[in-house]
Amino acid sequence: MEDRPLAEDDLVAQAKLGDSRAYGTLIQEHQTIAFRTAYLITASAADAEDAVQEAAVKAYRALGRFRSGKPFRPWFLSIVANEARNRRRSAGRRERLALRAAEDPLSGGAVPSPEAAILEAEQRAELLAAVDDLREEDRLAIACRYFLGLSEEETAAALDWRHGTVKSRTSRALDRLRARMEGGA
Amino acid sequence: MTELERALVRLGGDLVFPETPDVFTAVRGRLEQAPARRRTPSRRALVVAFVALAVAVGAAMAVPAARTAILELFGLRGATVTRVETLPRVETRPEAPAPTVAELELGSPVPVVDGLVRVNWPHLLVPETLGPPDAAYYSSVLRDGKVSLVYEPDAGVPRSRFTGVGILITEFRGDVEPAYLDKLADAGTAIQRLRIGRDPAIWLEGGPHYVAFRTPDGGFAEDVARLAGDTLLVQRGRLLVRIEGELERDRAVEIARSLRRP
Repeated sequence: MEDRPLAEDDLVAQAKLGDSRAYGTLIQEHQTIAFRTAYLITASAADAEDAVQEAAVKAYRALGRFRSGKPFRPWFLSIVANEARNRRRSAGRRERLALRAAEDPLSGGAVPSPEAAILEAEQRAELLAAVDDLREEDRLAIACRYFLGLSEEETAAALDWRHGTVKSRTSRALDRLRARMEGGA
Repeated sequence: MTELERALVRLGGDLVFPETPDVFTAVRGRLEQAPARRRTPSRRALVVAFVALAVAVGAAMAVPAARTAILELFGLRGATVTRVETLPRVETRPEAPAPTVAELELGSPVPVVDGLVRVNWPHLLVPETLGPPDAAYYSSVLRDGKVSLVYEPDAGVPRSRFTGVGILITEFRGDVEPAYLDKLADAGTAIQRLRIGRDPAIWLEGGPHYVAFRTPDGGFAEDVARLAGDTLLVQRGRLLVRIEGELERDRAVEIARSLRRP
C-alpha cells in the first residue's frame, strides 16, 4: 500500500468509523489555530488548553453530525470557541488581548537600521495598544481576521456571529483603528 | 488589502502566543473510553434499548423546545429523520429482555410456504442475499398496508436488543403523505446519507434512536414508539424499506441492494 498522508476527507471518514489515530492527526493539524482562537477568547492559557481539550472530545463524539466533504477546521473551531466562551463567561470579561509582540521579530527579510528597528517596534506597540483599546467585539474581529488569519467563515463560526456581522464589524473596527492611529492615540 | 490591514497581519505574525499544548495526547485516553459514536457503541447505551411502550411521541414532542431543538432534518419519501439535541425521555428498563415479536406490533402473521411470502401485496420485495424470511407479517395500519419480514438470529447476525430478532425488514408505500416513519436521533447517532444504486438511503448508526410510526391521519401510533438500533432506510421507487439489526453498514447496504420482487 502506498504510504502517503491521508487527505482531510479520508481522515474524517476514518475518524467517523472510530479510528482515534486518524482523529488525532486531524486534531494535530488544527490544534495551534484552535488553541490560539481559544486563547484570544479566554485570555488564559490554562482556560484555552482546557477549552480545546474539551472541544476535541466533544467533536469526536459528534463527528456523526459533521457533514463529509466540508472543511473540518471551521466546524472544529466553532466547538472550540463555544467551549472558550463558556470558560470566559465564568471567568468574567477580559479588557485586553493578553498578547505582546516579539521583541526581536523575524518578520522581515532585510536587516533594518537600528533607527528603523526602533521605529518599527514603536509602531507595532502602538498598533497593538490601539487594538487593545477597541471594544471587545471589534478587538476579536480584528484578532481573528488578521492576527490568526481566519477566513470570514471561520471567524463567523468562532465568534458565533453571522457572516454579514463579521464583515460589518471588521470594517467598523478597521475604521475605528484607523481613526485612533491617525489621531495619534 | 489596505496598509492598515497589512500592518495588522505583520503584527499578528510577531505576536507571542503561549506554546500550543499537545491536545490529542491529553485527551487520547478519554476518546478511547468515550462511547465511540459508531463502531463500538457502548453496551450501556445499547442496553438502554427497550422502551416501555407507554411513552407517546406526542408527549416527546412536548419536551421543552430548548431540549429538543431540531438540529438537522433528513428526509426520504415516507420517512423523516430529525436530529435533535436531546432525545425524548423514554422509560427504559436496563435489564429488560428484548421485546417479543408481538410487542413490535407488526400485524397479522402471513404464511411463508416453500420460500414464498404468501401475501397479496403487490409491492413486496425480498432480499436475495437473505432469502425467504423466517416469518412475515402484514399490517393494515396504513392505507396501502405494511409488510414486515423477520429473520431470526444466526451465526452472522446476533439477536437485536431492540427488536428481539436478527433482522427486521419493514416495507410500506412511501408516497403516502405524511411521512409514515418518524425518527429522532441525537448526537450519539451517526446519520449518513447514502445512495444505493439509484436509490436514496439513510444509514443511522451508533446510540439508539427513537422511532415512531404515523397513522394515516397524521397522528402518531403511540403504541409502536420505541428505541431502535442501527438502521438503513432505503427509498426504492414508491416503496420505503427499513432494515434494522445489529449489522455493519456494508452488510445492510448489500441486503438493500439485493431487494427483488419475489
